[in-house]
Amino acid sequence: MEPMTTPSDQGPADGLTGTERSSMLTAAKRLRANWPALLLPALAAEMLSMFRFHSHAPWLLLLAVAVVFAAVKPALAARIAPFALFGYGCLGVLIAHALLTWQHSMIWYGIFMGRAGNVNLMFVLPEAFLLMAASLWLLVVRGGPGASAVRMAVRQLRGTSGQPRTVPAVLLLPVIALWEEALGNQLWYGTGSSAWQVLGIAIAVAGVVLVVRRPPAAAVAAVAGLLGLGLVFVSGVGGGTDGFIYWANRGPDWSIPDFTFAQPGTFSGLDGPLALLNQTALWLIRIEGVALITAGCVLAPRLLSWEANAELARRAAALTLRVDRLTRTRTDAADTAIAELRRIERDLHDGAQARLVAVGMSLRAAEQLMPTSPEAALALIGEARETSSRALADLRDLVRGIYPPVLADRGLADAVRTLALDAPMTVETDITLPGEPPMPVAAAMYFGVAEALTNAVRHSGADKVEIGIGHAGGLLRATIADDGAGGADPANGTGLTGVEHRLAAFDGILAVSSHPGGPTIIVIEVPCELSTTDAARSPRSSWPEKTLLGG
Amino acid sequence: MRVVIGEDLFLLRDGLVRLLEAHGFEVAAAVGSAPELLKALTELKPDVGIVDVRLPPTFTDDGLRVAIEARRVHPGLPLLVLSQYVEQLYARELLADQVGGVGYLLKDRVFSDAAFADAVRDVAAGGTVIDPEVVARLVTKRARSGPLAALTPREREVLSLMAEGRSNAAIAAKLFITEKAVSKHAAGIFARLDLAPSEDDNRRVLAVLAYLNS
Repeated sequence: MEPMTTPSDQGPADGLTGTERSSMLTAAKRLRANWPALLLPALAAEMLSMFRFHSHAPWLLLLAVAVVFAAVKPALAARIAPFALFGYGCLGVLIAHALLTWQHSMIWYGIFMGRAGNVNLMFVLPEAFLLMAASLWLLVVRGGPGASAVRMAVRQLRGTSGQPRTVPAVLLLPVIALWEEALGNQLWYGTGSSAWQVLGIAIAVAGVVLVVRRPPAAAVAAVAGLLGLGLVFVSGVGGGTDGFIYWANRGPDWSIPDFTFAQPGTFSGLDGPLALLNQTALWLIRIEGVALITAGCVLAPRLLSWEANAELARRAAALTLRVDRLTRTRTDAADTAIAELRRIERDLHDGAQARLVAVGMSLRAAEQLMPTSPEAALALIGEARETSSRALADLRDLVRGIYPPVLADRGLADAVRTLALDAPMTVETDITLPGEPPMPVAAAMYFGVAEALTNAVRHSGADKVEIGIGHAGGLLRATIADDGAGGADPANGTGLTGVEHRLAAFDGILAVSSHPGGPTIIVIEVPCELSTTDAARSPRSSWPEKTLLGG
Repeated sequence: MRVVIGEDLFLLRDGLVRLLEAHGFEVAAAVGSAPELLKALTELKPDVGIVDVRLPPTFTDDGLRVAIEARRVHPGLPLLVLSQYVEQLYARELLADQVGGVGYLLKDRVFSDAAFADAVRDVAAGGTVIDPEVVARLVTKRARSGPLAALTPREREVLSLMAEGRSNAAIAAKLFITEKAVSKHAAGIFARLDLAPSEDDNRRVLAVLAYLNS
């Protein structure tokens, strides 16, 4: 039997009501599930310690907000935490770079450094990288939108993805930033000229434009820039207080650095432990240069595969689409063909075949009647003759539905003219075909025009229909326009759908424009080449209508 | 009356020969391909030729082309064109020279041998015989404009029977009216179609042509 627990039962034991206890338990469970949320208050505390020489108030406020946020919305806080961690790591890298290239830092940074009272690169960079790595690990392990972005970036940088090359191209932006930082003495501070600063901004803007407009070129530029920067750093150019000027004046300095750390309290901007940092930074920069060259060397060969992969991916995507379409249209074509064959079979069975059976029976009866009542026999024979006429008429109709005789005799242009002549309304044709399309295409086009015309006759109430057929740019195009009531719905009725399926087998399309109130315009397009050498086609098929009219 | 027959199917050719001979025609030649037919028509110049539309070598509309070519060589050479199917387009091409002496019939029509023999004689005499199936399709056409819109329904009826090659007497019998009334309707048709009085048969051809072109 289950123990009944109600809030009042548990009440007095630990001074908490059941509701309070269960909500605390739930809160603890939630926090355990969303433990990265705790990183937010931790980061806030870290920043409080960093900026302790400045006003405490805003950082205390930040800490309080982080604590409350992590407690109230642990799930959201847990999702944000990796990004905050990553951002803090980036800040560390930026500060490290500022230290390396300029040997001064505007702010205090890092758990160790804050306590030590000074900035020490030996700790700043490892901590920053550690934080960034931890944030990425968190992202990947805990999933979410950030994780897929990280996975995509890793895939693209490894060159294993057939995706568009966004990440390699975007690399150009940090590379430009690094270069401008290395050349900062010239571009930003050393000359103090606004022309140089404009150039610096222009280069950054050009980089962004290149990334957006020409991603492959941006990726190449990024790798080239990475390699160049590595070479510069290894030779120690970027490391001095004066950048290039330092290098030009003194030449590369390969002396072993003295890893004596700065004493607490001695840091004061540019006047700090310059000599020490100069030496230490030079070697750190050389290490960074080697890292950059390595990264460039690893990425360079992959650029080729990115290109090739992207090209392959484009082709693969196009081929996949094509295969999908072909599979679909092939099925449709097969279905249409089977339906057509069944219709023909049914028509033959119910029409000509049945009539021929009747003819046979009539003749047999006539045979039997002949000796006794020749008049009745004669009547039966006459009946048989009429029935055979009807069988022939049935067969004629059937043949028109399979492959119209005029189409076989004369080709598409005259076949459509015949359609126009047989229509119970005025149909004007304007057909300009320098040659004849392949027979299956001609048939599909013919039945498309026939169906459109039938619809115009049946539904539009039009007085006049205009049919135009022409061939341009590898496209055979027919336009059937009527002046009727419009409002035709291509989805309504199987006729046009059947035509669409038939056309799709040749990559042809059918488009209907029919606003209520008219007019209705149907356009059929099939890509095909015209043959002009078909000797079987009558040379007269291109005779102008006038000659035929005797006008 | 001398006849040249162009038909590629032996059974049909043989049947035609027997049918026509039974009705007192003299078969000057019976051939099975377009080139042979053209040669026979132009060299023998028969009183009337009977031509199948679909003939070797291409089995498309070779017969029709032979007919038009033969009438170009001998203008007005009477020809009766036979086919398994009839098309307005071909009828118009045959009538385009406006001379008459042209027939265009379904092959089934040979089943009624007497009527068929009459049609052959009509064509030989310069008449115009168009298959009722072609005419039937014309009747459904809504004549909203053009010269035919001016015709009364009765006149259209008379004209369609004229197109089938029927004589005034036959039309009168068919419509249960007097032959005189038919002549009156015919005169009305010619007047409305602006056909000046000339040789009656030619006016009939032109009227039929106007009808086909409606």
